[in-house]
Amino acid sequence: VRVIVRVCACDCVRVIVCVPSLCEDLLSSVDQPLKIARDKVVGKDYLLCDYNRDGDSYRCSTEYRDLYFEGGVSSVYLWDLDHGFAGVILIKKAGDGSKKIKGCWDSIHVVEVQVRAGAPLPVQTGINNVNCFYLPNLGNMDMENKIRSTLNEIYFGKTKDIVNGLRSIESLPDNQKYRQLQRELSQVLTQRQIYID
Amino acid sequence: MTDFEEPLSDEEKVRIAANFVTHAPPGEFNEVFNDVRLLLNNDNLLREGAAHAFAQYNMDQFTPVKLDGSEESVLITEHGDLGQGRFFDPRKRVSFRFDHLRKEASDPQPYEGETALRSWRDACDEALSAYVKEHYPTGVCTVYGKTVDGQQTIIACIEGHQFQPKNFWNGRCRSEWKFTISQSSAQVVGVLKIQVHYYEDGNVQLVSHKEVEESIVVTNETQTAKEFVKIIENAENDYQTAISENYQTMSDTTFKALRRQLPVTRTKIDWNKILSYKIGKEMQNA
Repeated sequence: VRVIVRVCACDCVRVIVCVPSLCEDLLSSVDQPLKIARDKVVGKDYLLCDYNRDGDSYRCSTEYRDLYFEGGVSSVYLWDLDHGFAGVILIKKAGDGSKKIKGCWDSIHVVEVQVRAGAPLPVQTGINNVNCFYLPNLGNMDMENKIRSTLNEIYFGKTKDIVNGLRSIESLPDNQKYRQLQRELSQVLTQRQIYID
Repeated sequence: MTDFEEPLSDEEKVRIAANFVTHAPPGEFNEVFNDVRLLLNNDNLLREGAAHAFAQYNMDQFTPVKLDGSEESVLITEHGDLGQGRFFDPRKRVSFRFDHLRKEASDPQPYEGETALRSWRDACDEALSAYVKEHYPTGVCTVYGKTVDGQQTIIACIEGHQFQPKNFWNGRCRSEWKFTISQSSAQVVGVLKIQVHYYEDGNVQLVSHKEVEESIVVTNETQTAKEFVKIIENAENDYQTAISENYQTMSDTTFKALRRQLPVTRTKIDWNKILSYKIGKEMQNA
């Protein structure tokens, strides 16, 4: 069964109630808007996604988030693999809530880090968090910037072009009228042929 | 994920299916219909329970259709709905059967419409058709002269679309304009709608609408038609300009408020600096 690309959160639920057997497939292949939950112990917000439905949470460095998003909520979930580790980095930023602007940016980055057997690990005395070593490599994968630029230039630019192709503010050039003339001419010629026959 | 203990009734399922269909983006009715058909897996249920949804979709979208042997199209709208699956073309003065799934017209019959309003309807249609040719590359218009709630009303519908599924995009604009001719002073009321869907390696939709109201002086058929079309032209030009301007505003403010292109420091992050700062901090605390 093909997956319908056009679903969003409530549509997803509607499809699942009609065809319950699609539930797992749909939830794992369609990204839902990220939900925010509150950790009352630490007093901080964190994000929910498919990866931490039954897992623990780990709060990441907020420097990156604040520099690019000036606020927002972020969460990171990491888990061990046989030869390395994997993780998902979630970021959610809602618009500033001013009256005429409503919007939300959700990021879901999934990474997998493979550590080759025998590769030397950094030895830092007193440091427990070895994963910090990988931070510069992960941080420089600038997918978000590329996606943001693509959204701005291609997606928004393209829809604007389509709108301007549906209707023209300036009067259309006369080739429309030329085509009408062509049609009328061919009709007359067809009639003439019939007459000759 | 909540557990659904009781399976949904057929009625509820077909209501959901119908809802998906009525919200299909322009040009994508068949795709949504086929997908929904697979999910529902009950053709009889779909045909009987969602038939009203297919008709509603075509009327909402101002679907254009060509009658046999005609170069011009007529729009399927609620104003031309005669019931029993029949619609009328006020310009050609015919009624016809319309198949909502095949989008085909058949069985044309003469249909006179309201003769009292004919001269007004014809004048507005002539002026509007010229305007549509000047501004819409693929535009179609249909003008009705009908008595609505006791008032003699002119209703003008305009539609233009471009479907390019091979390039992963579809778009349609529609506008509906009304005014009454019973008194010398009237209000022209308009609703303008645009919907664009671009889905190449992604999924973006623009859905926009605007309501317009302007006063008009009703004199004779030709003069009034001219004024009517002038109001329409100005409003539709303003709307299109505003949409273009909104794109710029969105890029400069809204989008940036969600995620900046560059950090507030205006230079890209130096990850090694962050890392050494972090390690330094932890060593202090150790």
